[in-house]
Amino acid sequence: MSTPKPLRKLDDLLDSRLMAKLDSVDVVSRKIFSGKMQGERRSKRRGQSVEFADFRPYVHGDDLRFVDWNIFGRLDRLFLKMFLEEEDLSLIIAVDTSASMRVGSPDTFDYARRVAMALAYIGLVNQHRVSLVGFAADKIERASNMRGRRKAAEIAQWLLKLEPEGGSGFEQAMRLVGTSRQGKGVMIVLSDFLFPEGFEKGLSMVAGRGFDLFALQVLAPQVVDPSREGGISGDLLLVDSETGVETEVTVTPELLKIYKDRLDRLCGGLRAYCARRDIVHMVVETSTPVETLMLEYLRRRGLLR
Amino acid sequence: MTLASHASAILAVTQLIAVTWITPVAGAILGASILAPLVALWFLKLRRKRRVVSSTLLWTRSLADLRANAPFQRIRFSWLLLLQILAVLAIAFAVAQPEAEGLGSAGGRHVLMIDRSASMNTLETTDDAGKALDEPRTRLVLAKEAAKTRVRELLGGGWFSTRASDVMIVAFGLRAEIRAPFTDSIASLEAAIDAIEPTDEVTKLGEAMELARAFTTNLNLNDARGEENNTTSGPLPTLELYSDGRIADLGEFALREGEGIVYHKVGRTPTNVAVVGISADRPPEQPDKIQVFAALVNPEPVEKKVTLQLAVNSAVRVITPEPITIPAAKEERGSYIPGRAQAVFRPIEQRENAAIEVAIVEDDALRDDDAAIAVVPPARRLSVLLVSNGGFLLRTLLEGLATERFTTVSLGEYEAMVEGGTAASWDVVIFDGVAPKTLPSGRYLSFGPPPPIEGLSAFGSHEGVYPRVVRDEHPLFRSASLDELSISKMVAVQPDKRYMVLVEAPEGPLIVTLDRSDMHLVYVAFDPLDSNWPFRRSFVNFVANAIDHLGRAGDSVIGRTLVPGEAIAIRLPAGSRDGVLTLPNGSTEKLAIDQDGNVSWGPAELVGLYRIGFLEPGNETRQERLAAVNIGDANEARIEPRESLDLGTTTVQGVSVGESRRGALWPWILGLGLLLVLSEWWYYQRQIRA
Repeated sequence: MSTPKPLRKLDDLLDSRLMAKLDSVDVVSRKIFSGKMQGERRSKRRGQSVEFADFRPYVHGDDLRFVDWNIFGRLDRLFLKMFLEEEDLSLIIAVDTSASMRVGSPDTFDYARRVAMALAYIGLVNQHRVSLVGFAADKIERASNMRGRRKAAEIAQWLLKLEPEGGSGFEQAMRLVGTSRQGKGVMIVLSDFLFPEGFEKGLSMVAGRGFDLFALQVLAPQVVDPSREGGISGDLLLVDSETGVETEVTVTPELLKIYKDRLDRLCGGLRAYCARRDIVHMVVETSTPVETLMLEYLRRRGLLR
Repeated sequence: MTLASHASAILAVTQLIAVTWITPVAGAILGASILAPLVALWFLKLRRKRRVVSSTLLWTRSLADLRANAPFQRIRFSWLLLLQILAVLAIAFAVAQPEAEGLGSAGGRHVLMIDRSASMNTLETTDDAGKALDEPRTRLVLAKEAAKTRVRELLGGGWFSTRASDVMIVAFGLRAEIRAPFTDSIASLEAAIDAIEPTDEVTKLGEAMELARAFTTNLNLNDARGEENNTTSGPLPTLELYSDGRIADLGEFALREGEGIVYHKVGRTPTNVAVVGISADRPPEQPDKIQVFAALVNPEPVEKKVTLQLAVNSAVRVITPEPITIPAAKEERGSYIPGRAQAVFRPIEQRENAAIEVAIVEDDALRDDDAAIAVVPPARRLSVLLVSNGGFLLRTLLEGLATERFTTVSLGEYEAMVEGGTAASWDVVIFDGVAPKTLPSGRYLSFGPPPPIEGLSAFGSHEGVYPRVVRDEHPLFRSASLDELSISKMVAVQPDKRYMVLVEAPEGPLIVTLDRSDMHLVYVAFDPLDSNWPFRRSFVNFVANAIDHLGRAGDSVIGRTLVPGEAIAIRLPAGSRDGVLTLPNGSTEKLAIDQDGNVSWGPAELVGLYRIGFLEPGNETRQERLAAVNIGDANEARIEPRESLDLGTTTVQGVSVGESRRGALWPWILGLGLLLVLSEWWYYQRQIRA
C-alpha cells in the first residue's frame, strides 16, 4: 500500500474550483432549530423578520411595536403580529481520527478531512456556526463556533494538524458533543464505524438530543473488497492498526465471501440502526471524487441543496 | 562459555555420575528430528508476511464464521500443505521403523538358520558391495557375522528398537542341529553362532525346516476326526536363512500358509572347479598296481583348463603334462548341466595300501572340493570257509576261484571253530544249505535255511517262483543277470527294515543283504539245486561278487569313499585296542573299540583323510586304517550364490547380507522428511518474497 501524499495547505483540502461550486450550496436541516443569534436561517422562533407567521392576543408586557393596529381599528382588540425569525444554524462535523482511518488508497482519513473541509466551507459561507470535532481514544480536539468565510483557512489549518492515532473513542466523543452547549443543529459524523466496541452507544449519545444527524461511513475500496489491487491476498499476519492485535489469515475465496457478508451485515446493521433513530446513513467509498459526493450524492440525500 | 567447553562440562558431569548412554545415536536423531522442524516452523512463523490493516475486526469475525460454518472445509490444493503432509508422513514412517523388504520384521519369533555346508567354506575376498575385505573370509564367517548383527538388531533394545520375543539358532548341512533354542539372550545367541563350525557336508534344508517347525507347532491330539494334525502354537516364526542358496533338496518342500522366510544371500564369488569323483582300483590282472580315474566338474559357463596332480600317501607321483580342459556349464531346456571332464592316470605301482589323492593344482575360491582321496587296500586275496553237508556244487565252484585260503567244513566242525574262537580268522563264511545255532560277528553268504539272526524270520516255503531283481545296480549283480532264473522251491522269509531286498518274487524276498558294522550277510532264500541257477553263468559271477563284496565289507570304509556327514564304521581285528582317530585337520579323538573289533565314529563332517590308529592283539606295533571323505557333489561345487529360492510356489528373493547389515530404513526416511521440511521452507520463502 503506497503512503498517501500528505495534505499541507487549504488547497490540498479544498481546491478553489470546488470552492467556487460550493459557494452556491447550503446545508439543509430537516428540522428547524432555534439559533443563538440572528442568522440567515428561518427559525422556529417568532422573531424579527419580514415573514409573517401568526397572530396572538396581546398580553401585558408585550412589545407594542408588534401590535397590529389595523385589526385593533376593526375589532377594537389588541392582537400581536408575529413573524418568523431568521436564526443561524449550528453545523457540527465530527471526524474520526483513530488509527483505523489511515488505510486504503485513496486514504480514508485524508478523504474524510476533505469532505469535512468542504462541509465546513459550505457552513461558513452560509453564515452558520461551524464546529469541528476530531475524536480518537482519549483524544478529542475541537474547533468551535466559527462563522464567516474568512474562518475557512483557520479550519483548514485545524484539519491539517489532525493525525490519526490510537483507538476510536467514539462513544466518549459523542457523549461530549451531546452534552455540550454546542448541541442541537446539523451534525455530520465522518468515520469508518469499524469500532470494536460497536457504534450503537456512541450514536445513542447524540441521536435523541435534537441533532439532525448524518452518518457518513467512509470506507476505502480495499476495505469494501479486499481482493482489489492493493488489498489482501495470500498467507498473512494481519495487524490491527488500533489495537495491535495480530491475526493469521489465509485469504481464500470462501473467506473473502464471508468477509464481504460480514461487512454487509455491519453496514446493514448501521443503516437499520440509523433508520430507527432518524439518522441519515451513507456509505462513501474513498474512490468517489469529493466533488461528486458533495454536489450529487449529498444533494440527493437532502443534506445539501 | 564456548560450545566446546559446554560439551566437555557435560561429559565431565556424566562421567562423574556414571551416566551410560544406551542409545546416544537414537537420542541425537530424535532430538534432531524434533528440533529441526521446530526451528524451521519457528522461522516460518516469523516470516509470515505482516500486513497492517485498519481493523482486524471483520477478519477475526469472518474467520470465526468460517470455522463455525464449515469446520470440515474442503482442503484447497497447496504445495506448502502437500510438502508439510509429506514431511509429517515421512517422520511418522521413520518413527515406525520400517525395514527393507526381505529383512523380515522385528518382533515375533525368528529362527536364524545358518548354512554350514561345504560351499559355505568358499573364501570371499570382497564384501557384497564389491569392496575388498581386509583378509579373505569364508562365507560361513560372513554369515555368522551377519546373523550376529541380526540378533543385535532384533534384541538390541533402545527406544527405536522393538524387541523380538525370541530367536532360535539352527545350523545345518546334511543334518540340522539346534544350536540355541528360542531365547532373548543376546550373549547366548552370539555364543551359539560363534560355536558353529564349518563342515564339508552337502546342503539339505529339509531337516532344518522340520526342526524349526517342530518348535513352533503343537500336536493336536483332540482332533474331531481322531486324526493327528499339526497345528501352530501362536504365530509362525519368521525363518531367516543365511546361505548361498545351493541347497540339494530345495524342490522337496514348500512354505506353509503363514510361514515367512527371509533369504540372506551370502557370498558373490562364482569361481570354482571341483574333483567330484575318484576311483582307485587294482585291476584284477595287475593286483600290484592301482588304476586311478577322476571326474572333474566346471560349474561356470566358461571353459576351464586345470592341471591335476596325483599323490600317493601325500607324495606327488604324477602331474598331468597338459592342462585338462573342462567344458563350460550350460542350460538346456531349463536344466543346468555342469561341464564335466574325466582324467585317467596310468596304473601306478603300489602293493601296500595307499591313500590316493587327485588334486587340482590351481587355486580357486572353494578349496575343499579341489581334491579327492581314495583309499586302496593292500593287494591281498581272501580266505573263504565253506560250511556244508558235503554238497559238491559250491565246493567245486570255490575251488576254481583265486582265494588266499579255502576250506570246507561240516556244520559241527564250524560250531567247534566258533566255540574255539578261530572262526573269526576267515574273511567270508559260506553256509551251503545249513544253518548254525549261533552266528557271531562276521561276513556270511548263506544259501537255503535262514541263519539265526535277528530280524529275519522264516515261515514256510513256496514253490515255483520267478524272481525279479529289485536292485540290479548292486555290486552282487555285476555280470550276473537273473533273467532266466526259475526256482522250484524257496524259503518264505520276512526280513525287517534293516535288511535290503535285492531280489524278490511275488511270494516274498529271495536275496537280501544286511550290512551292519559287525555283521555282513548275503542271504539267498533257496537252495541253488532247487533252481536252474547252477547251469547259468550268473551263478558263478554272483558267488564271486558276493565273496569279494563280503570279504572287503569289514574294511569297506577304507575302500569306499565316504561323503561328509556319513559315519565311519570299520571292523578291526578282534581284541584291538587303543584306537585313536586323526582327523584331516590334525586333531585326534579316542576311539572305543568293542571286543569284536568294531569301531564307529561320526559324522565325518570334514573332507580329507581320516586315520584310525590301533594296537592289534599280540602286536605292539601301531596299525593304521584309512578312510577318505570327499565332497563328491556337483551341486556343492556350484558356489555362485542363488539370487532367489523357489520354495514350492513361492519365490523368495535373496537379500545380500551386506544390505541386511545396513539395518533399518528409518534414518533414510527421516532424512527425507527433513529434506521435505527444508523444501517447504524454501518454497514458502520464495512465495512470500514474490
